[in-house]
Amino acid sequence: MSVPILKQGDVLIASIQSALTDRDLLQLKDELAEKVGRLRSRGVVIDVTALDVMDSFATRTIRSIAAATRLRGAETVVVGIQPEVAIALVELGLTLDGIATALDLEEGLDVLVEVMEARRRDR
Amino acid sequence: MADQATDAEAPFGPAGLFGPADLERRLRSGGVGPEDRAGIGEIKDEVLKHLDEHVAAFFEHLASFPEAQALLRRPDLMEEARRLERDHLVAMASGTYDRDYVEQRFRLGRLYNRAQLDVALFMGAFHAQMSSIGRRIMQRYAKDAVGGFARFSAFKKIAFVDLGIVVDAMMTEREGTIRRQQQAILELSTPALQVRERLLILPIIGLLDTFRAKQLTDGLLKAIRAHRAKVVVMDLTGVSTVDSKVANHLIQTVAAARLMGATVIVTGLSSDVAQSLVTLGVDLSRLNTIGDLQGGIEEAERILGPASPRIERRPAVG
Amino acid sequence: MIDERRVPIDRDVDIVTARQLGRELAAEAGFTGSDLTLIATAISEVARNIVVYAERGEIRLGRTDRNGREGIEVVAADEGPGIPDIQQAMQDGFSTGRSLGLGLPGARRLMDEFEIVSEVGKGTVVTMRKWRP
Repeated sequence: MSVPILKQGDVLIASIQSALTDRDLLQLKDELAEKVGRLRSRGVVIDVTALDVMDSFATRTIRSIAAATRLRGAETVVVGIQPEVAIALVELGLTLDGIATALDLEEGLDVLVEVMEARRRDR
Repeated sequence: MADQATDAEAPFGPAGLFGPADLERRLRSGGVGPEDRAGIGEIKDEVLKHLDEHVAAFFEHLASFPEAQALLRRPDLMEEARRLERDHLVAMASGTYDRDYVEQRFRLGRLYNRAQLDVALFMGAFHAQMSSIGRRIMQRYAKDAVGGFARFSAFKKIAFVDLGIVVDAMMTEREGTIRRQQQAILELSTPALQVRERLLILPIIGLLDTFRAKQLTDGLLKAIRAHRAKVVVMDLTGVSTVDSKVANHLIQTVAAARLMGATVIVTGLSSDVAQSLVTLGVDLSRLNTIGDLQGGIEEAERILGPASPRIERRPAVG
Repeated sequence: MIDERRVPIDRDVDIVTARQLGRELAAEAGFTGSDLTLIATAISEVARNIVVYAERGEIRLGRTDRNGREGIEVVAADEGPGIPDIQQAMQDGFSTGRSLGLGLPGARRLMDEFEIVSEVGKGTVVTMRKWRP
């Protein structure tokens, strides 16, 4: 099951709808990297609200999406991590250090603006 | 008989908690048959004739126990207890065992709980009362000991069913009280208070054990979601010591809150607790710590910015 | 194991099936809240281990009890190449940054009990249990 990617201004929103297989996740990574490059997006929001499990593979893939899109000039924010999933991630020691997180899509767009501004200032 | 204490408001013994089928089952397992009901009918007048004596036997038995003084010295409770005990015997002798009968038993159980009369003491007094009744019946049937014994046995069958109901009522009531107390303690000790939109304060008071620490994590993360909190001030002023497990849990809670998109500010860290965290290998620089609660709230306000800033703050994207 | 159920594992979609079944079974066994997620995540890790390193195998799931405690048992079995150095495989990437990425140390942290038996050329069996609080 592939993940719909919406373009809103210079932000891409990947909103995961249901449990993903490893292949789906890798496909999401490739598509996001390709779209960020082609559309010159400045930000990516990955909405994981629908995920009831995020294991080490999913987390590693999200990390590498963030790294790949950053190389192409876009910041990534992960939104909607469920309380139980957050507990499991912490138990696994997967704390997504260096990747911005937010409660939901709306908040994620706000955070993205802050992160992009901070990057602009740093340059 | 599962989950009797779910509704604290409902009186004990309504059909949902203790249905007619349950009573029927108890009477059956107590071996109460038609001939027993008939036997009880024959001694009914004998029991009622000496009612006051039998009620007195119950309280006389209690008088020698210091634990029962909480009941015996309270005139209001005693008046009610005497009345209920009288009704109790009248109902037992009446031969009609229905819903009213059960509810009356539950009232009795609740009263004894309120007076902190424990089950063993109650059972002793109940036995003294039965002996008093047995004595009178055997006197009445002095010339027909076998017949007297048969009738008293019938009465005792009901008495055993009765005892079971009262004891269950006492236990259920007590379990309900304990559960409510535990819940209240949990809620009192781990409330996440919303101070303003997007800001929660979590005062942690008292000893944290692993179980409470886990509750605290679950509760906080749910509160973050429910209140859409962006900043949480976790105040440890009321915490005097932490062990490695609890320290680890606090760190994990902070990390989990961050994954959900909330920033945790830790305040009120005493030097003792800070020292033990460091000794336990916690990297305090990874925690956003601020001296006191006031400072923590100010920092939170700074992160949140002025109220409702969203529309003004967001520059055009694209 | 009581009410044992088996999920054959030979491609990535089976990982999702196994963990969803595990969550259902754990709920039936009386687990609640974040425990369900921890169990499902641990199953995901050991199932992926099969797909990535052994290509095929199976996950067996069931309720279990011991000394009056009830819980859930998960067995991940394959006939793959086996793990030559279990100690290294179980090394925790969390603190050392030198994890082999097998997901096994993570699974161990999520469950209460974790046993692994592996023989090179024969295969690997991981048995995990979690007890109800």
